Amino acid sequence: MTIRTYTKTILLTALITLSLGGFLLHVRIHPVSQNQANFIPVISGLLSILVIPLLFSFKKTVEYGYVLNGILVIIGTIGMAHFSIVHWPAPATAGSIIFKTMLMDILILWSKFFVGKALFDLEFFGYDPHKAKKGTTYRYPNLGWWVVHLVAISLVYFLGNLLWRHL
Amino acid sequence: MKKFKLFTLNWWILHLLAISFFLYLGHAVRFVRGLTG
Repeated sequence: MTIRTYTKTILLTALITLSLGGFLLHVRIHPVSQNQANFIPVISGLLSILVIPLLFSFKKTVEYGYVLNGILVIIGTIGMAHFSIVHWPAPATAGSIIFKTMLMDILILWSKFFVGKALFDLEFFGYDPHKAKKGTTYRYPNLGWWVVHLVAISLVYFLGNLLWRHL
Repeated sequence: MKKFKLFTLNWWILHLLAISFFLYLGHAVRFVRGLTG
């Protein structure tokens, strides 16, 4: 086994254990029977445990894994931020915002994104310690591209929530 | 050029689908204060 294969296996294991932990946590705390919105973490969890590691395993499908992983993290971030806004702590102090909203869960979720980023970068940029990081920040596959998508998707979701009401 | 046009077409289709999906998601997800589910 090469160091590359070994590191890839470690990262894939991290991705699966993180996703499995999140999936089981959601199943325990938010049963689907209570709110249909709870289908989102169930579907996202299953995709993260079964499909994304498979996509990351083959060079041809790494990019699909990278994009799907990032989009699922964005969906989770938006969903949990939405939940936190509805259940906003009162009084809203710095402490209550940190400890009584879903901020910490969102931060844990982003570790899954960075594991995916490491898997992607390992496949495409390799280990060369002297290789310079190239590319414009806001262009794919760099982090700025994800920030743009996080903002854009949040905006579209917000508009859907605000303007498209149930009659 | 043909490849670029195909890429552009696919880009638009993907983004229109994504916008429709996230608009629907925002519409469909409703949390009620007091209910933890």
